Amino acid sequence: MFCSMKRGFNWRRQSVGWRRRLRSNCLFQVGLILLIWQAGEWLDRALDLPIPGAVLGMLLLLGLLWRGGCSLTALRRGSRWFMAQMLLFLLPTVASLLDHPEFLGWLGCKVLAAVCLGTLTVMIVTALLIDGCYRWLLWQRIPAKAGLEQGGSHV
Amino acid sequence: MSNVHALGSSLLWTGLTVALFWFSQSLYRRRRVWWAAPAITAPVLLVAVALLFHISYRQYISGAGWLVTLFAPATVAFAVPIYEQRKLIRRHWPLLVGGAVAGSITAILSSWALACWLGLDESLRLSLLPRSISTPFALPISGKIGGTPSLTAVFVLATGIFGAAIGESLLACLPLRSVLARGALFGMGAHAFGTAKAHQISEEIGAVAGLVMVFVGLLNVFAMPLLAWVIRAT
Repeated sequence: MFCSMKRGFNWRRQSVGWRRRLRSNCLFQVGLILLIWQAGEWLDRALDLPIPGAVLGMLLLLGLLWRGGCSLTALRRGSRWFMAQMLLFLLPTVASLLDHPEFLGWLGCKVLAAVCLGTLTVMIVTALLIDGCYRWLLWQRIPAKAGLEQGGSHV
Repeated sequence: MSNVHALGSSLLWTGLTVALFWFSQSLYRRRRVWWAAPAITAPVLLVAVALLFHISYRQYISGAGWLVTLFAPATVAFAVPIYEQRKLIRRHWPLLVGGAVAGSITAILSSWALACWLGLDESLRLSLLPRSISTPFALPISGKIGGTPSLTAVFVLATGIFGAAIGESLLACLPLRSVLARGALFGMGAHAFGTAKAHQISEEIGAVAGLVMVFVGLLNVFAMPLLAWVIRAT
């Protein structure tokens, strides 16, 4: 794509500019992501997998990015837009509480306590475990590296 | 006539949801305290408005339900931040895998223990188990292990809202050094809500959170037959 710019044909340069403008357009990028999502859903139905179509779409897009079939600049804005609106997309699910009025009383308090304490435990355990392992690995790596460098300088 | 009515209700409920979302965001921009976070104010306001005007779930979801469908392409969009952080992930993937496995086990055990301690009945207990997984994965799992998917949806939601709200304060309290641990805290503890929150804090944390969330979902889908077998055996 950059080669055609170097050659300097006017119509080509213009077509590249037009393409680039389209690719950096947020709406176009959102459309592209929607298209990949549909492809994932189609794959899910065709192969009858236990994985949701959205996750298949994500793996598909990851594969495309990895193989270079799709450039990062053509997706970054659209992806940011989706990330920023994520809470809005989850908001209507909250209304399912309206169908469970039993949770608006004492039982609700108990369930809420179970959920909150459980979530707190999971967050603390996961984060401390990963951080502990990370520090341990770092601590193991540093003396080894220092030893290697020392050895190297002596030789 | 019914088409016009459906369009009207869709516009009304979608408009209300979007308005509440914007309002809660602008509120948080002015007052940066944890209880004013959009993850708390927006759901609370929504339920309050619905209760105030006696709106039923079916009425509301038939109008604004299409917004939830858009969560699926948002999941697809996770691929971009994950790809951008590929170096970090490639270097530390064993840590993330180990964290997700340990986190899932903690989630299941803590849910079970807390439910027993609080004296919740069997169906509630089973519905609580897949709580830490994001909705598209959690619902089929709940059905397979003998829980009630619609109850699980409520628990998944409460987990996400609470986790996203408490996450930032936890980051301030815990002595965490790596981006991996901070991201995994959100992705493991509060799935999609946590990931949304993590993206607001930083791109790196958000990418790790998204990856952990998706990985935990996949892990649990494949571990589910084992879990169902263990539950049936006990």
